[in-house]
Amino acid sequence: MIKMEQINKIYRPHSNPVHALQDVSLHIKTGDFVAIMGPSGSGKSTLMNLMGCLDTPNSGTYWLGGVEVSSLNSDQLATVRNRKIGFVFQNYNLLPRMTALRNVELPMLYAGVEKEERKARALDCIGRVGMLDRIHHRPSELSGGQCQRIAIARALVNNPNIILADEPTGNLDSVTSLEIMNIFQSLHRENTTIVLVTHEADIAAFARRILHFRDGKLIKDELLNPLLTEPSTAKGGEHI
Amino acid sequence: MNLGESIWVAWDSIRANMLRSILTTLGIMIGITAVIAVVAVGQGGQKSIMKEMEKFGSNLFQIMVDWRRDELPTGREFTMEDIDIIKANVPEVQYLLPCANSYSNVKGGNKVKTAQVLGTEADYAHLHPLEITAGRFLTNSDCQGRRRVAVIDEEMAQELFPRTSALGKRIMLGNQTLVICGLVKAESSPFSMGIKYVYIPTRVWLDIYPDGNIAYIEGGTRNPEEVKVAMQNSIKILEKRHRSEGLYQGFDMEQQIQAVNKVTGVMTLVIGIIAGFSLLVGGIGVMNIMLVSVTERTREIGLRMALGARRRDILIQFLIEAIVLCLLGGIIGMALGIGGAFLISALAKWPPLVSWTTVLLAFTFSAAIGIIFGILPANQAANLDPIEALRRD
Repeated sequence: MIKMEQINKIYRPHSNPVHALQDVSLHIKTGDFVAIMGPSGSGKSTLMNLMGCLDTPNSGTYWLGGVEVSSLNSDQLATVRNRKIGFVFQNYNLLPRMTALRNVELPMLYAGVEKEERKARALDCIGRVGMLDRIHHRPSELSGGQCQRIAIARALVNNPNIILADEPTGNLDSVTSLEIMNIFQSLHRENTTIVLVTHEADIAAFARRILHFRDGKLIKDELLNPLLTEPSTAKGGEHI
Repeated sequence: MNLGESIWVAWDSIRANMLRSILTTLGIMIGITAVIAVVAVGQGGQKSIMKEMEKFGSNLFQIMVDWRRDELPTGREFTMEDIDIIKANVPEVQYLLPCANSYSNVKGGNKVKTAQVLGTEADYAHLHPLEITAGRFLTNSDCQGRRRVAVIDEEMAQELFPRTSALGKRIMLGNQTLVICGLVKAESSPFSMGIKYVYIPTRVWLDIYPDGNIAYIEGGTRNPEEVKVAMQNSIKILEKRHRSEGLYQGFDMEQQIQAVNKVTGVMTLVIGIIAGFSLLVGGIGVMNIMLVSVTERTREIGLRMALGARRRDILIQFLIEAIVLCLLGGIIGMALGIGGAFLISALAKWPPLVSWTTVLLAFTFSAAIGIIFGILPANQAANLDPIEALRRD
């Protein structure tokens, strides 16, 4: 599903270069639930941006669902983001003037899905996160946890290959965080591939596997919850 | 994203900042209002002038002394014989008549009034849209036989003989007594300004005003195409008979219509320039607020990009927003302009003319302003880096 080989990302390569990622290689299989952990400056945000096709590496190859995406142009990357990736953000990033339903429909607008199907698919995904009674509410009328559920529904709606969640519980209290992590776990049981960035160990503990980063390098590939679902393999030059 | 959705999104964001949107588009609104109102009134005015001119007919011409020669006329430039000879020799000329006029006193029913006394012929009724309301107009035998008859307009009749019918009554012109043989409806045009008319045979007129002369001659052809030939041949005969080349000049309606068009053309140009500046300023206002909007909505742009919007989608979204904003101003301006046009013409007493061309032009123009002044902000939005944009607060 995700295969990264010898990925390097250098910011400001000409003046004062910062080596954000160094020779990172990793492999995430379909249906896996992976947490990425590391202190700030460890390169995990850079990795998320690359995985999310928001940015391209300076060198290395990145295969996403069978497509080499590291050399695509900005329009092609937009299409990859639209079809293959579902984003979940710490601050939800719902458009405030739109209802929950229209927010969930948004990725399908850029995919050119017809109106009827858009609504049907949006309702289906909203159902999966248990928010069908709130579809006509605007984000300002929803709680943080409810907003994040809608955001997850939005991430699911184009049937992406992976869900990329960046600190999805960072703005939530512990009870709500638990609810959101339960949603991720149930999605995982439905064979959705999930990559989660967090700095909280108890959130990372919901995953099946944790990739630890430090100073732009993958330093540890930890397998937990082996019972959760099927196996995966990690291939990393640096991993222990 | 399809067009309908884009327009919906644009409208949504305009509605979210309604006051700001209206204020922004005020420049466009005022510009379009001015253009529509002035053009409607102008075209209405032009049309009513044209209608008046067409009443006289596009198959008419006039021949008069060329005043550019800087020589006073002798009064012998036109004679009654000239008329007969031209009529006999130029087949294109259907009607031809001398025009002699004098602004003078008319006595009748113990009153003295002033009127324009026209010495003319029976053909006059064919060249001018006269409405006979009683009796008859001058006939050929009246004119040939120097009968002392007159046709007066109803206004004159009313003033001289308020209680009885003027028909058959006598009036005095100079030292001559004439019998009123017909009444006509007063000729009305924007240029007549309430002048009253008395029509009498030319030969009688020359008897009454021995110092007067035929000022010009007026003719008509069967169709407008023959006007030029008829006019030129008539002038040739006049020049030959009076042995004076370059003494006469001819006028036809086409020249007069061109003159009116020239005036309205200049007016339209001046207004166009003023409106152009107004719309330019309005457009800059729209550009400014769109730049603000892009900055405010950086996060939204970043999110849309993350969800799969291509640069083109973002560009189109903001471009459409600018266009919708300008069209909003354009449509409100159009409504105000049409209202204003009706108001002005109610005061000026001529019908406004709102043509589809004007409306379409205003519509296209506002949309064009949206595109021209929206492209810079839209381009700025489309070129945002999604990572940077998402990080922005």
